Amino acid sequence: MKLNIEGLLVYFPYDYIYPEQYSYMLELKRTLDARGHGVLEMPSGTGKTISLLSLIVAYQKASPLEVTKLIYCSRTVPEIEKVVEELRKLMEYYSKQTGESNNFMALALSSRKNLCIHPEVSALRFGKEVDGKCHTLTASYIRAQRHSDPDVPVCRFYEDFDAVGRQVPLPAGIYNLDDLKDFGRRKGWCPYYLARYSLLHANIVVYSYHYLLDPKIADLVSKELAKKSVVVFDEAHNIDNVCIDSMSVNITRRTLDRCQGNVDTLHNAIQKIKETDAEKLKMEYRRLVEGLKEANVARETDVYLANPVLPDEILKEAVPGTIRTAEHFVGFLKRFLEYLKSRLRVHHVVQESTPQFLKDIFDKVCIDRKPLRFCSERLQSLLRTLEIADIADFSAVTLISNFATLVSTYSQGFTIIIEPFEDRTPTIANPVLHFSCMDPSIAIKPVFQRFQSVIITSGTLSPLDIYPRILDFRPVTMASFTMTLARTCLCPLIVGRGNDQVALSSKFETREDFAVIRNYGNLLLEMSAIVPDGIVAFFTSYVYMENIVASWYEQGILENIQRNKLIFIETPDAAETSMALEKYQEACENGRGAILLSVARGKVSEGIDFVHHFGRAVIMFGVPYVYTQSRILKARLEYLRDQFQIRENDFLTFDAMRHAAQCVGRVIRGKTDYGIMIFADKRYARADKRGKLPRWIQEHINDGSLNLTVDETVQLSKHFLRQMAQPFRQEDQLGLSLLTLEQLESEEMLKKISQIAHQT
Amino acid sequence: MDEEPERTKRWEGGYERTWEVLKEDESGSLKATVEEILFQSKRKRVTESHGQVRLGMMRHLHVVIDCSRTMDDHDLKPNRLTASLKLLETFVEDYFDQNPISQLGLITTKNKRAEKLTDLAGNPKKHIVALKKAVDTVCIGEPSLYNSLHLAIQTLKHMPGHTSREILVILSSLTTCDPANICELIKTLKSLKVRVSVIGLSAEVRVCTVLTRETGGSYHVILDESHFKELLMLHVKPPPASSSSECSLIRMGFPQHTVAYLSDQDAKPSFSMAHLDSSGGAGLSLGGYFCPQCHAKYTELPVECKVCGLTLVSAPHLARSFHHLFPLQAFTESPAEGLHVDRFCQACQGELKDKSIFTCPICGGVFCSECDLFIHDSLHCCPCCIHNPSNP
Repeated sequence: MKLNIEGLLVYFPYDYIYPEQYSYMLELKRTLDARGHGVLEMPSGTGKTISLLSLIVAYQKASPLEVTKLIYCSRTVPEIEKVVEELRKLMEYYSKQTGESNNFMALALSSRKNLCIHPEVSALRFGKEVDGKCHTLTASYIRAQRHSDPDVPVCRFYEDFDAVGRQVPLPAGIYNLDDLKDFGRRKGWCPYYLARYSLLHANIVVYSYHYLLDPKIADLVSKELAKKSVVVFDEAHNIDNVCIDSMSVNITRRTLDRCQGNVDTLHNAIQKIKETDAEKLKMEYRRLVEGLKEANVARETDVYLANPVLPDEILKEAVPGTIRTAEHFVGFLKRFLEYLKSRLRVHHVVQESTPQFLKDIFDKVCIDRKPLRFCSERLQSLLRTLEIADIADFSAVTLISNFATLVSTYSQGFTIIIEPFEDRTPTIANPVLHFSCMDPSIAIKPVFQRFQSVIITSGTLSPLDIYPRILDFRPVTMASFTMTLARTCLCPLIVGRGNDQVALSSKFETREDFAVIRNYGNLLLEMSAIVPDGIVAFFTSYVYMENIVASWYEQGILENIQRNKLIFIETPDAAETSMALEKYQEACENGRGAILLSVARGKVSEGIDFVHHFGRAVIMFGVPYVYTQSRILKARLEYLRDQFQIRENDFLTFDAMRHAAQCVGRVIRGKTDYGIMIFADKRYARADKRGKLPRWIQEHINDGSLNLTVDETVQLSKHFLRQMAQPFRQEDQLGLSLLTLEQLESEEMLKKISQIAHQT
Repeated sequence: MDEEPERTKRWEGGYERTWEVLKEDESGSLKATVEEILFQSKRKRVTESHGQVRLGMMRHLHVVIDCSRTMDDHDLKPNRLTASLKLLETFVEDYFDQNPISQLGLITTKNKRAEKLTDLAGNPKKHIVALKKAVDTVCIGEPSLYNSLHLAIQTLKHMPGHTSREILVILSSLTTCDPANICELIKTLKSLKVRVSVIGLSAEVRVCTVLTRETGGSYHVILDESHFKELLMLHVKPPPASSSSECSLIRMGFPQHTVAYLSDQDAKPSFSMAHLDSSGGAGLSLGGYFCPQCHAKYTELPVECKVCGLTLVSAPHLARSFHHLFPLQAFTESPAEGLHVDRFCQACQGELKDKSIFTCPICGGVFCSECDLFIHDSLHCCPCCIHNPSNP
């Protein structure tokens, strides 16, 4: 259907539209008009992706000079593929309606592992191996060597691409990963480099967060994207953690050992090259005297993404004399390494700020701040000079040099924590140096500064106002959309008491309480008897889950549950978990019924959807607070309090509730789906917890479902399940939660729609 | 332990329903409640069933009754098993009333096994006796959907192609304990053209959805006892015959009822063939229905002759199946505001309060929605048309 969104003609590839989609597009349009950033929350399964795509594509078509490119960031490869498929549908609709052939180019980009078509390289299993192998075949000096010695193996796909691929632009169309591979095979071009090259003139790019947020990758891939782009972060409820992870470094003793090996290799390589080709080293030396001017020139044209690892000032200076020659630099690295080793030989926990660390390193081994800052860049230069092909082997030393650069660059927003052992195993020495980023805004700042509109969207972003605060940006729109429903298909219940009136809670004091554990078991048992097919249960942590399950086993609760359903358990091992998941789905499919016990923040809680019968109920045992004794967290909380005036408690609750919402949100994946959401902790009933749930869940929690006993829960659920099992067809939705164009354009409906968006 | 929670549950049940009603009032205009949707579907059923469709008049139906642990649940009074059996009794009666030349068999499943309660037979009495007896069954273990379906098709697959093969499962449990992959069995059922319908007593189970969808049956979950009854009654009406089923002429016997008196010299007491295999039951009697082909005696019709295999029916039986073929036309629905003359229903004489009214297209009689349903579901003829002989 063709929609008119405040004067913009939007082609929408479906015959029906959800009211909230219309509302979402309205808000999105306003954000784009204002050239600002937006935070939008809309429940999953209501067609967020297609709304985003339709509107932004329409905007691009209407004013091609204002918005030149859409950069759509998603989390996983399947999600990326899904976005591309939606886009394909939209484009087909466009060409059908307008009669013109499609002149849009959209493509997905993923790692080499997913795009490589080289027969030997693509057979490798791990991403790192593929990257390394690819590098040994395509590095510039390898190819240079080939000129003199034709026996050096190179990748013919890359060669062909390099020879002709750049002159001919990729024809317009929609390319997912497989399409790119097909195209590459047909032409004999490397799909990965083709995609990377084509990013520049593509209208729509779909790729993973890391290509934009992780400074190391962003530098390679996303450097030259136009300023007038719209960036969308989908499923962005964890974006702050992604930012932090991309800037943090953990160094263990093993890293240091491997690094030692790297440094020795470097040393030998330098000796060798000195004997054979001393000229090369001299040339490098000269280049370094000139300073990092090359990079500087590129930056001044203002089309590059600022690299947070390498701040602006650094480029203006020459590489300091102490590390200019290769031997000196290796010696420098050795000293730095020894220093780190000595720091790891601690018996108590040390926490210090970056200036403290720098002062200490100066006192102990006389390493100045300045050479440290150039460490990362200097290492890259050295690796290039030494013509080391397989970069993957040098990950340890790269990590250390990155750490050196980061630690000497940022005096704020980072902390260094050295722990002699893990908290869980206080007797086993396993020293770790955490260089932890506490400020997610550091990594994302260049994105906000550079692109004209950044949209952060997800099914669970409540409370909305906290994201702008922790990411340090000013949005022009913040809105939360509810789900309009023809029937109430979600049933959130807060269970606060057992049948014996014992308060249910996972809080620390009652964690070991026998009565609480028994009542939790009772809840699961009763639910297993009345909920059909699949139930997903989430615990707050692996340790807690182990304790509870062991205790249930002793009490015979597990045995009783198994009469109703099979039990599967998520473990930290990914292979085991995916096996369990597969069997779980099989059991749901053939009527045996199953329960999946899993952990909030685990793999299951984040990426896996339990549509329809795979999840008819989800039970959240306890409030999934992050492990509060962790020093990294404590440091971060302190930082948030000092810098952003966010109280510790507010942040902890926010973090716990967004994970709880993620967990329970797994069961509702659309309007025809239905599911029970059980919050089994009396603390959920409090306004501060409840108020932080997404609005679309919150509005279905009424006073009657606040502090229920197990029995009441069972009664309500039974009733709900019977109601939901009644036949439900599309016609029942029509006019209420599903609209045709005529219905949409009626006065009354437009008025209703304006109430869907909840501005904050 | 058993008594106490029981009482609270009942109390909550009542509490809950009032709350439901309140909620509906508040946002009635915004959200269509489930009841409303249900009513719509009921209406649809009435309108849909009209039209000339071929119906399978000779039906072979196996009813599978779940007797697992969950049938002990007290949400139907006094418990699920007793309530279901009682409803099934009326179902059996209605079934034979509406489909006199059809057959029915009962299967129970519990403790991972399936047992035949009664064989496929056309005699309602035998089934009802079996159902009455089954009330005392101890409900244990899990049901096995696979085993019961397997047992049912053992007999159904031998039934001739012009008859319908149906299975109706009353499933209370949410789990099934199967010896093999049920998907394979579903394929077999599909190839044998067995239609499986399920009535769930607790909630929607995926495997039943798939089962019914694949085999062309219906799947419903009960809301309460009256809804349960309604759903059962849905299965009384014969389903449309699949176009692929064969047509064939059937040999049928119409035996006359011979009444003999003891005083009569020729009268010899004889056994009814139908009662030979069951040890109890009637003994010697004088009169009965004699098969026109082999003269075997039966006390009840319809029946398949034990001796020569002829189907024996009486003429009224066939006549009763007749209305399925020529159903009453659907009444036209119109908003109540359009009506000016009299605001009373022609059938129940009650005031028309509903939003819409229903008019008979032949005589123009006006009815309320309840009477409309009643006329179409039970009466099968319009009372006004009959009242005015001038309107044929």
